[in-house]
Amino acid sequence: MPAARAATEDTAMTELDDATRHALCDLLLAIADDKLMLGHRNSDWTGLGPILEEDIAFSSIAQDEIAHAQALYEFVGRLAGTTADALAFGRSPDAYRCAAVVERSDDNDWAIALARQLFCDHLDQLRLQRLSNSSYAPIAALARRLAAEEQVHVEHADGWVRRLGSGTDESRQRMQAALDTLAPLSASLLEAVADQATLEANGVYPPLDPPMTATWCAKLTTLVDDAGLHLACPESAPNTPGGRRGVHTPEFPSILDEMCEVYRIEPDAAW
Amino acid sequence: MSGSSNVGMHVDHDLHDDPEKLAEFESRVADGHLIEHDDWMPDAYRKGMLKMAEHHANSEIIGALPEGEWITRAPSLRRKLALTAKVQDEVGHGQMLYRVSQDLGKSRDDMLRDLITGKTKYHNVFNYPAPTWGDIAMIQWLIDGAAIMNQKTLADGAFGPYVRTMKRINMEEAFHFKSGEDMVLTLMSGTPRQKKMAQDAFDRWWYPSLMFFGPPDKPDAENLPPMKWRMKTVKNDELRQRFVDRFAPAALDLGFVINVVEKDADGLVVAKRPDEQLRQDETTGHYAFTEPDWEEFYRVIRGGGPCNRQRLALRRLSYEQGQWVRRAILQGQAGLPPAA
Repeated sequence: MPAARAATEDTAMTELDDATRHALCDLLLAIADDKLMLGHRNSDWTGLGPILEEDIAFSSIAQDEIAHAQALYEFVGRLAGTTADALAFGRSPDAYRCAAVVERSDDNDWAIALARQLFCDHLDQLRLQRLSNSSYAPIAALARRLAAEEQVHVEHADGWVRRLGSGTDESRQRMQAALDTLAPLSASLLEAVADQATLEANGVYPPLDPPMTATWCAKLTTLVDDAGLHLACPESAPNTPGGRRGVHTPEFPSILDEMCEVYRIEPDAAW
Repeated sequence: MSGSSNVGMHVDHDLHDDPEKLAEFESRVADGHLIEHDDWMPDAYRKGMLKMAEHHANSEIIGALPEGEWITRAPSLRRKLALTAKVQDEVGHGQMLYRVSQDLGKSRDDMLRDLITGKTKYHNVFNYPAPTWGDIAMIQWLIDGAAIMNQKTLADGAFGPYVRTMKRINMEEAFHFKSGEDMVLTLMSGTPRQKKMAQDAFDRWWYPSLMFFGPPDKPDAENLPPMKWRMKTVKNDELRQRFVDRFAPAALDLGFVINVVEKDADGLVVAKRPDEQLRQDETTGHYAFTEPDWEEFYRVIRGGGPCNRQRLALRRLSYEQGQWVRRAILQGQAGLPPAA
């Protein structure tokens, strides 16, 4: 990030009261952790994609996700007095705020990887849209920067759903099965972070009109219908606490064990 | 990352080539002209260039695997991004080189199938394991360094499409090398455990790096077709010496041990790391070194290396799992957007 922009953001950081700062950190960690895990999962496809050209495209998107996470961690790091790497690699599992859907393995199934990307990209686009309108100027500036790349991710995922929906019987069945598998799990993305109401009330994370969940569902359903497939889109978050409150899937600690394997050898060293 | 020095090249013109056309072709090559894929060329040249480009393409996509295994374990966000981008570049190099090969008359699907069924080969160096993060640093420093040395000379070759592709690839390889150098420097400036990780990896990769340039040259190599037709421009042994002269002192500068013999209390040798002969000859200025174990080299080429099976199995899995997607594209209505 250019020094001038970082300096502007630093100056403005002092304007937030403690409750808002805590809530905003939690929200940004939720978005960043989603993106890190998604990028982490998808980067694993690099070199193994179904078509060389798509391998390259999907890897670029994975890199965008990780870079977005990095930018958000740096932002949180400035608010909370820590570093991006310490946030990405140094927390205990219950301090992560990611949703169950990004924790799920794709089992080397391209349709699952794509469906996971689809649900997340569409929500990210709306979350970034909300933050772009934030009353807190520094996060609005960052969100607008990330939103431009998010648009490309959405077009990529949409294009593939259409292509597989209009491909062969097998591709239709596989894409449908992936949507059916992940749709219930994608509700985990909709869970609010603690004190999100504060951010909505003071305009730091302003609501959308119509509401975000309804817009998310409408866009996804239109796309999937258009691709000749069917989607039972979740309309609300699960009733029980999930990733946004630090409650994760049983496989989550093992994902972290792999991701942090080298970092944990010498957590204080430069790598 | 790869280079094609260890592709087995037994190229020669045959008696059916029109002697006038052959003479004109050889004089164009000798004068430094570039040959394009639709120009007349001896059949053996077309086959040889296809074999070379295909081998190189195979090496790029197999070469993505050992490093790809470490993307999910990279120890910082910066390294994770850089490594993903680096492996992505290798896939991109594979894509470009398959396109060159496709223009020489073989379909991509045939090439991918021949690779996973073992009908064609890839570079030997990727049959060695990368057990630590230090190995990833070493691959990017030593192996990419070797690849740049080799590919710079391949960019002086005669086949236009391959030469242009080499120039593009070399620009990206220079980034990979810088990244590797930075990773090695970081480890060697780090904690004792990090330094040991780097030294152990250096010891593992030194000989595969020397083997990277291929087996010793045949006598009279300059006058045999691969060099006479400028498919390659510098002999394997000459490249190997250049590499040693460049990297032995660089390793010393970074603090690596390059020629130590460790003995126990009774004076019995317990370890030689990695080559006790590796030292500068003060009269010639060149570094002396022990020749790699060429028996091991040929054993690994024949499939007996530590990771041959693992690499091909993963490549096969990827091919099999992607088949339904490729069928959907080929048979579907929507198709892919036009290539940029």
